[in-house]
Amino acid sequence: MRLSSANLYNASIDNLQRRQSDLVDLQMRMTSGKRVTMASDDPVAAARAERAMVSEMRSVTSQRSVEASRVIISQTETAFADATELLQQAREAIVAGGNATYTDSERALLAGKLKNIREELFAVANRTDGAGSYLFGGQGSSQPPFVDTPAPTGVQFRGVSGQMGTDAGTALPLSTDGSATWLTSNSGNGVFLTQAAGNSVTGQAVAGAWISAGSVIDPSSLFPTADTGYRIRFTSATDYTIESYPLATPNTVTTQSTGTYQEGSAINLFGMSVAIKGTPANGDRFEMTPSTPTLSVFGAVDTAIAELNTTNRTGAQRAQSTADRLRDIDGVMGTIAAGRAAAGDTLNRIDNETTRLSSQKLNAQTDRSNAEDLDMVDALSKFQNQQTGYDAALKSYSMVQRMSLFQYLNV
Amino acid sequence: MSAGALFSLGQRALAASYAQLQTTSNNISNVNTKGYSRQEVELATAGGVFTGAGFFGRGVDVVSVQRAHDEFLNREAGLSSAIAEADSTRSLQLQRLEKVFGVGESGIGKAANEFFNAYSDVASKPQDLPSRQVVLARAGELASRFNSAAVQIDNLQAGITIDLKTSVAQVNELTSQIAQFNEKISAQRGTGQPPNDLLDQRDTAIRDLGKLVQVTTIPSDDGTVGVFMGGGQALVLNNSSIDLVAMPDAYDSSKVSIGIAGQGGSQTLPDSFFTGGSITGLLRFQASDLTDARNLLGQMALGIGLQVNEQQGKGVDLLGQTGLSMFRFASASGLPTLPALASSLNGGSASVSLTLQSPASLTAASVSSVQAADYRITADGSGGFSMQRLKGGAPDPQYSAVTVANNSVVEGFRISISGTASAGDTFLLQPAGGAARDIALDMSNPKLIAAATPISATLGIANAGTGKVGALTVDSAAVGTNPNLPATLRFQTTATPGQFTYTWTDGAGTSTAATWVPGQAIVYAGTNATNGFSVRIDGVPVASSTSPVVASDTFVFAANPYAATDNNNANALLALRDNPLIGAVWSGGTLQAGATAADAYSNILADIGVRVQSAKASADLSANVAIEAEKNRLGKSGVNLDEEAARLIQYQQSYQAAAKMLQVAQSIFDTLLRTAG
Repeated sequence: MRLSSANLYNASIDNLQRRQSDLVDLQMRMTSGKRVTMASDDPVAAARAERAMVSEMRSVTSQRSVEASRVIISQTETAFADATELLQQAREAIVAGGNATYTDSERALLAGKLKNIREELFAVANRTDGAGSYLFGGQGSSQPPFVDTPAPTGVQFRGVSGQMGTDAGTALPLSTDGSATWLTSNSGNGVFLTQAAGNSVTGQAVAGAWISAGSVIDPSSLFPTADTGYRIRFTSATDYTIESYPLATPNTVTTQSTGTYQEGSAINLFGMSVAIKGTPANGDRFEMTPSTPTLSVFGAVDTAIAELNTTNRTGAQRAQSTADRLRDIDGVMGTIAAGRAAAGDTLNRIDNETTRLSSQKLNAQTDRSNAEDLDMVDALSKFQNQQTGYDAALKSYSMVQRMSLFQYLNV
Repeated sequence: MSAGALFSLGQRALAASYAQLQTTSNNISNVNTKGYSRQEVELATAGGVFTGAGFFGRGVDVVSVQRAHDEFLNREAGLSSAIAEADSTRSLQLQRLEKVFGVGESGIGKAANEFFNAYSDVASKPQDLPSRQVVLARAGELASRFNSAAVQIDNLQAGITIDLKTSVAQVNELTSQIAQFNEKISAQRGTGQPPNDLLDQRDTAIRDLGKLVQVTTIPSDDGTVGVFMGGGQALVLNNSSIDLVAMPDAYDSSKVSIGIAGQGGSQTLPDSFFTGGSITGLLRFQASDLTDARNLLGQMALGIGLQVNEQQGKGVDLLGQTGLSMFRFASASGLPTLPALASSLNGGSASVSLTLQSPASLTAASVSSVQAADYRITADGSGGFSMQRLKGGAPDPQYSAVTVANNSVVEGFRISISGTASAGDTFLLQPAGGAARDIALDMSNPKLIAAATPISATLGIANAGTGKVGALTVDSAAVGTNPNLPATLRFQTTATPGQFTYTWTDGAGTSTAATWVPGQAIVYAGTNATNGFSVRIDGVPVASSTSPVVASDTFVFAANPYAATDNNNANALLALRDNPLIGAVWSGGTLQAGATAADAYSNILADIGVRVQSAKASADLSANVAIEAEKNRLGKSGVNLDEEAARLIQYQQSYQAAAKMLQVAQSIFDTLLRTAG
């Protein structure tokens, strides 16, 4: 078949140009290390790389919010540790205050110590993370979240209880519920609250006897009727009556049983066991009511301070006070300890989350690399191939084009 | 027999050989001339002289000079090069378009994700102004990426407009040349010899024309050819040519459509008339690829911008006010303008406008149920209208036409029609078309980012169950002012084990118990449409029962007094990155999920990528076909130098032989003279 000379030249030149541009294209890919530089290079891989990039960015973002949570929760954990330490000191002061040989002025000194402890506790509760966020701010609060108000209200939480959290993907806390940890421990021993309730005959406080915090002996028979309180009322120095009354109307009394007082021996009633010590007088009353979540760290310390500052108390009154306050301090310490455990748990979760996120990031990076990065070995061998091909094309072109019949004509 | 016969034979042979040498030299001379067809001398015997001894040949005659030409190969080459031009033009334009949609770090997808991810830092520290400032900066970056992509698309459109106008001018120039060649060729018909060079020039002009717009030729007896484009539209008839006109599109004057100049003004030619050539590639790119790219981009901008605005409106900012819009779209209200363009050919006075409209009972999803498509509304003249979804400028066969009227709500927007329309009046709707160009950041104060929710949920202190407040969705920020709040949610056991009911207790009393479906939102109906909310309780709360006496867990919802430190709405804004609402379809009463921002962009990338890839492949394929066809054509018509060299020797030798003949004749004549003398 006839070949048009002009066309032959053009076709050869086109061919050489195409090979050259292929070579340049491959060289550019090798320089950038990317197989996919435009979506059309491999649309599926480009979309996959795009998704992997999004996933990688998201891991980085999530890691930042995990770190934000870590900063806050680790400081919260420290705050709980400080609070425990302070409460321990308060406990020691209260124990010391129960010492029978102390005078009122010595107790006033202890009250001063407790006052300092309370100030410190208040500062711990209002502690920030150093960057303006309150550790115990709950879901949002005034600044600071805890505000001192006049007695009897005492310290108040001005905020929304609950926790602020990071996004649903990580769901880690960014604050701790200040109300739950500092202000709403269960009163009494956690199930019921015992207290000396005054003398019905004299109208004065109980002076000669005191009641223990009590314990639960039969959970199934606790408070069979809802919203009911129980009262041990002494009818003489040795006899007492057990009465029940609705919490709303303490004077509507139903007599349940009677008993004889023996110092220190347990009195069992409705699943509870309490011990009364000292020398009760006719009309002395001791009440047992269901525990309520109203015990505040500050309230416990405030009461202790007030009681230590009260002069001219009988030994029984001091014993009652010491027992009650120690019970309260133990109660709030339990809540603080639970909070600390939760913070520790969260820190564990943060570590797990960090591990998860870093492996997620690595997976995303691997995925992206697989999708769009160039296989260097493959590319190099291809490059070698194309180079050889181009070389051969150039050589053959120069050889073929040199051949012309006119070369042989000696005209 | 005379000695003159030998002289005459020699002379004829000499003339013939010289003619052949001349033609061969002409071939060699024109080896690189565009459109030149190899020429050959046609020889014939000069006939014989009868004698008693039979016929003696009188030598050779030069009959004609013919060009080597094959009409079939010529047509084949023209056709395939027209298709190759259309494919390669579209492929080149698509490759330009592809650069608008960068991959990885340079893409809009990355900007969108960085924007959403920036909310994470705001959620970690709601009152931190630098984190909020970063959100604003990222939002500005996202908006400007949308804008610059839209501008690049507009620039491509402007480039196409210029290309089309230039191409049309070239077409007109070529058709008038062809008409002139027709005239000259028919004038030279009288000579009886083919006007080879004129024919070559006309063929070249037709081939050049075919590269712009595919044509077919029909030769007529007088030597002229008629040139027709697709659909039988004549461009050249005999000595006259008919001009094409590049005219503004009937709907959108920034687009170009091609028309034919007529006596009563120009008439638009349908795109189906263009079957090949670079004009076809440009028209196809303009109608389909560019429109789709603009719509996809606009849909994404609308989806993201409106979702963020809506979520902002559900929150409370650092100043304690309802969140303002973060993005604005060009119009005065800040809301998107949905273009609805009337055809310039409309006879009636009707005008159509569109507003975003949520389908009834679809609240949060409305904003992005706008589809990335154009629609055409056609009037029937008697007050009725039908709407058809378009694809590449033509009705999309996947969607049937729907009847619409004033105030119809379809596909995420409301149609308002005013005035009266004549039969056949049309309107082009581009609901997503302008959003990417128009979107802009509308917030400069970082305090205005609404990171807080207007209400807060608190779990009762005594809650014993695992119930937690999951997703809390408010109707609007006005929920904080609902006078009946706080509202307490409680659960009750029922006779069926494992089935709970719930009640709301608020300032207006306690609601009747309703069955709780775990995982589904519990709705708190407000006093009006804007101050209610819905909440999902995750986990299992303790429900109240009478025997044994158990109190229900409580969930209290109250106005949020401490908006400055709340981050719930920031988390909700962050969660928008997972909201599959871009391109969601509202159909038959349910919402079919669309794509998230990240996926939407990946999808655009893949879509454009596949288009480019297949356009490149078909351009390569049709280019190869065209090259092959051209090679075949030139195999017939082209000049091969080796061949010409061989012919040169051949004809030189015949010339020498003829000269020898004359020498022989002369010596014979001399011999005769001597003998006679």
